[in-house]
Amino acid sequence: MASESALAAGLSELMVLRLLREQEMYGYEIVQAIALRTRQALTPGEGVIYPLLHALEKEGLLKSRRKTVGGRSRIYYSLTARGAKRLSAMTDHWSALTGAVGAVLHAV
Amino acid sequence: MRFESLRESLLKGGIAPRHVRRYLAELTEHLDDLTEKQRAQGYDGEDAELRARALLGEDRELAAAMLEQKSLHSIPARAPWLIFGLLPPVAGIAAAFALIAPLALIARILHMAAKGGILAPQWFQETAFAVTGVGNLALAPALAAGFVFLAARQRISWLWPLLAIVLLALMDLQFQAHFPPAGHRGGSLSIGATTWIWHWRSWLETWPSSVARLLLTLLPGAFFLRTRSLVGQ
Repeated sequence: MASESALAAGLSELMVLRLLREQEMYGYEIVQAIALRTRQALTPGEGVIYPLLHALEKEGLLKSRRKTVGGRSRIYYSLTARGAKRLSAMTDHWSALTGAVGAVLHAV
Repeated sequence: MRFESLRESLLKGGIAPRHVRRYLAELTEHLDDLTEKQRAQGYDGEDAELRARALLGEDRELAAAMLEQKSLHSIPARAPWLIFGLLPPVAGIAAAFALIAPLALIARILHMAAKGGILAPQWFQETAFAVTGVGNLALAPALAAGFVFLAARQRISWLWPLLAIVLLALMDLQFQAHFPPAGHRGGSLSIGATTWIWHWRSWLETWPSSVARLLLTLLPGAFFLRTRSLVGQ
């Protein structure tokens, strides 16, 4: 369903922005962190994270740099000020949404 | 090469080549990390690689995720009419000015231009003839080759670069330098773009260079079609 897909896309964006608020990460680290924190509840093909990262960077919400760690060169992503603002707005929206859905589900 | 079919799907789908390049580089690194993890979990050789590849996602899924991000599509893919329809004449005129501007600037700085034309020293005349010669024979073919390269790189339909080439060929950019004998005023430097169909008489008067220019402009298109047909076989 299109709306479900839009919801999932919004959810991925929210999680990526939230993780990158803490520290810069490369794609593999982001995917592992999402899997760990969601207890494997969200398991798309791991590679699909990159188009989202590219799009967020193009929108100015993330920035990237190539960094060599342990002899391996990787592209690290971090949050921009604009990304932090978007995260804040999305967090508020998501909290309101989950609160509303929770109220319906737990209504007696 | 890894992800070769994915690369083709993305380019044909209109994703900008720089995003394709980076995506494949990141997928390659990711796959290496996943393979390493599988090995650490006790899977060996081909088993580890197969499991890692499955975790990364199928090509179809990886391509779809990229293709749905409209912001990652290239301008030539989104608006080919702009790049291959409108840009060729604009690029032709801009390139012609860029080629001739340094000469005009030198003439101005050295006070060669005055009422009655340019009083140009021998070295300037030779340079001007060389520049106009290059402009006449190489500028349109170079631009045509550029549009062909752009289309080939982004797997764009052959009709678009051919349109650009036809426009450049029709435009018939011309450079001219005229100088009187040394020591006399009256020289001139000029550039012009005209549709030769409307000026076919003057086009025929200089037919050797006109035909050479036309053929050289069409050449990248022929090369493009030839390459496409070879790839298609």
